[in-house]
Amino acid sequence: MKHLILKNISKEYGGTTVVRDFNLEIEQGEFVSFLGPSGCGKTTTLRMVAGFEMPTTGTITMNGAEITNNPPNQRNVGMIFQAYALFPNMTVAQNIGFGLKIRKETESAIKERVDEMLALISLQKHANKYPYQLSGGQQQRVALARALANRPQVLLLDEPLSALDAKIRVSLRSEIRAIQKKMGITAIFVTHDQEEALSISDRIVVMYEGRIEQVGTPFQVYNFPETNFVANFVGTLNSAEAEVVDSAQGLLNMDGIQFKTSQEEMKGRSTGDKIRMSIRPERLSFAAELKKDNVLDCVIENITFLGSVVRIQVKIGNARFNMDTFNNPFLELPKIGDKSQVTCSQEAVLVYSGEATA
Amino acid sequence: MKRGGVIWSWFWMILGILYFFLPLLATFIFSLKAVKDVYSFKAYVNVFNDPAFQLRFPASILWSVLTIIAAILIFVPTAYWVRLKVPKARPVVELITLLPFVVPAIVYVFGLVRTYSQPPLLIVNSPALLVAGYTILSMPYMYRAIDTGLRAIDVQTLTEAAQSLGAGWGTILFRVIFPNVRVSILSGAFLSFAIVMGEYTLAQYLAKPAFAPYIALLIQNKAYEPAAATIISFTLIWACMGIIQVIGGQEQSGQIAGGH
Ligand SMILES: Nc1ncnc2c1ncn2[C@@H]1O[C@H](COP(=O)(O)OP(=O)(O)OP(=O)(O)O)[C@@H](O)[C@H]1O
Ligand SMILES: [Mg+2]
Repeated sequence: MKHLILKNISKEYGGTTVVRDFNLEIEQGEFVSFLGPSGCGKTTTLRMVAGFEMPTTGTITMNGAEITNNPPNQRNVGMIFQAYALFPNMTVAQNIGFGLKIRKETESAIKERVDEMLALISLQKHANKYPYQLSGGQQQRVALARALANRPQVLLLDEPLSALDAKIRVSLRSEIRAIQKKMGITAIFVTHDQEEALSISDRIVVMYEGRIEQVGTPFQVYNFPETNFVANFVGTLNSAEAEVVDSAQGLLNMDGIQFKTSQEEMKGRSTGDKIRMSIRPERLSFAAELKKDNVLDCVIENITFLGSVVRIQVKIGNARFNMDTFNNPFLELPKIGDKSQVTCSQEAVLVYSGEATA
Repeated sequence: MKRGGVIWSWFWMILGILYFFLPLLATFIFSLKAVKDVYSFKAYVNVFNDPAFQLRFPASILWSVLTIIAAILIFVPTAYWVRLKVPKARPVVELITLLPFVVPAIVYVFGLVRTYSQPPLLIVNSPALLVAGYTILSMPYMYRAIDTGLRAIDVQTLTEAAQSLGAGWGTILFRVIFPNVRVSILSGAFLSFAIVMGEYTLAQYLAKPAFAPYIALLIQNKAYEPAAATIISFTLIWACMGIIQVIGGQEQSGQIAGGH
């Protein structure tokens, strides 16, 4: 039995549908991210699981029991907000113990659980401080402890890291993931940051305009995007318009330049189709290293350092492509304006219908 | 601002203080002259020993306290609910809270008497009607103070956080909302107290014992005692103000700050 099932969920606000045909099954202990651009319905879907919004259609089942219309205080879900939402009038310990007190647990049971939670987030020394005396990252950890103290069925996190600075964001996200694994709790994590989603999820639900575009592991979503939107939204992507010139051979024509793609990508396409062709930057490399299915003349247009990666912009025909190579001190970089050749395998050339979206 | 500006601002401030305090000082000095040629507290003793004072002054305090309790119990949930569920209605509600400023008390009290003096609403003789009337009069101060207090906290997110932790409406109101607007409630309560202690029309026309009608009566019959009674009421109100400042100050430095 799946732990959490969202079936045929939709949500309308005054005639506008903001979530539609949402179907998702989540395993006990799974960490699922909702990933998508602003306004795609991530928060709305999460809030339906929490009980703050009621779905217009569909059902939500948790642990085999339908909870679609249960009020939020009877669902036992832990909610983490972007704005922390700690109670300003209570100390850290009182915040963490709040839910237990509502359940009328004994003073000693509450104290024991609060201490356990404080240890979990390593804030034992701050038990008697008020929220305003803590940093943002500490406050969010308290919020996490407060939610977990109740032993919720599901942990729901709505962009919990967005208000924090980059360093804390990265360390706290691995902390959240570690705690979630340790406690074996089912979690849904909303984010519009694809790197965040890729790095901590068991599965990612990519959403666009209220719909699920793809559900898959980070590996699947990144390497085998099922739609043009996913390909563009997750990771960076080079994209250009092209035409199928020979569907049997997998040959494409982009402004007079020929590309070869795999048979897989040619499924359901026929010669003469106008398509959109996409290549991830890291799949391109200089031809000098190793010649692959596609060898393309290019001009070096720009070079950008991104830390561990160097991004080189090349012009192939009239189209601009980014190419990523790992940085190292012995890297011999070409000069801007140099003529060169880049190469990629046929599997690297992805084919989608129609116009680009994101 | 130049030196001249500073001098002028001091000048206006001192002028303002004099305008406010001179009559008070005069009243105070006058109240000490009940015995010929010496300063004494005779007038105060007279007031305190007057059975009418002993009835009406505590009565007014009782009305104030009841009014404040009623106002807190009605306006905190209302202001909270409006912010949470119908934020679009806030301008309308704000306008309604200002009505006591617009409707003269005398008109209001006759409305009350007319409406509630015939069956089935025959409650014109009940003290409850007086307290209800005072509660309405306190609305502009109380409601607005509470609403301002609520603005400082993220009402919706705190509510949702509490709900997801299992809290019902009662718990949310008493454990989350009230404690976070305590300072605002206090300042609203102080103003309401002052209003009720000094209110004349309602008590007079609903024929209930109260302090302001008592002073009015004294003025008609006595010379020095009304001055003494006025000073008593000022002292009381200032004491309240001082207490609230102290509590509010502790609150501020203690916990309420930084409600992000
Ligand atoms: N209470 C509401 N009334 C009307 N429309 C709403 C309401 N809540 C959300 N919407 C609309 O629903 C759509 C989805 O909103 P939602 O907050 O779920 O997006 P999101 O994916 O969480 O975006 P973001 O990344 O910006 O948080 C938006 O177009 C939004 O304007
Ligand atoms: Mg959102």
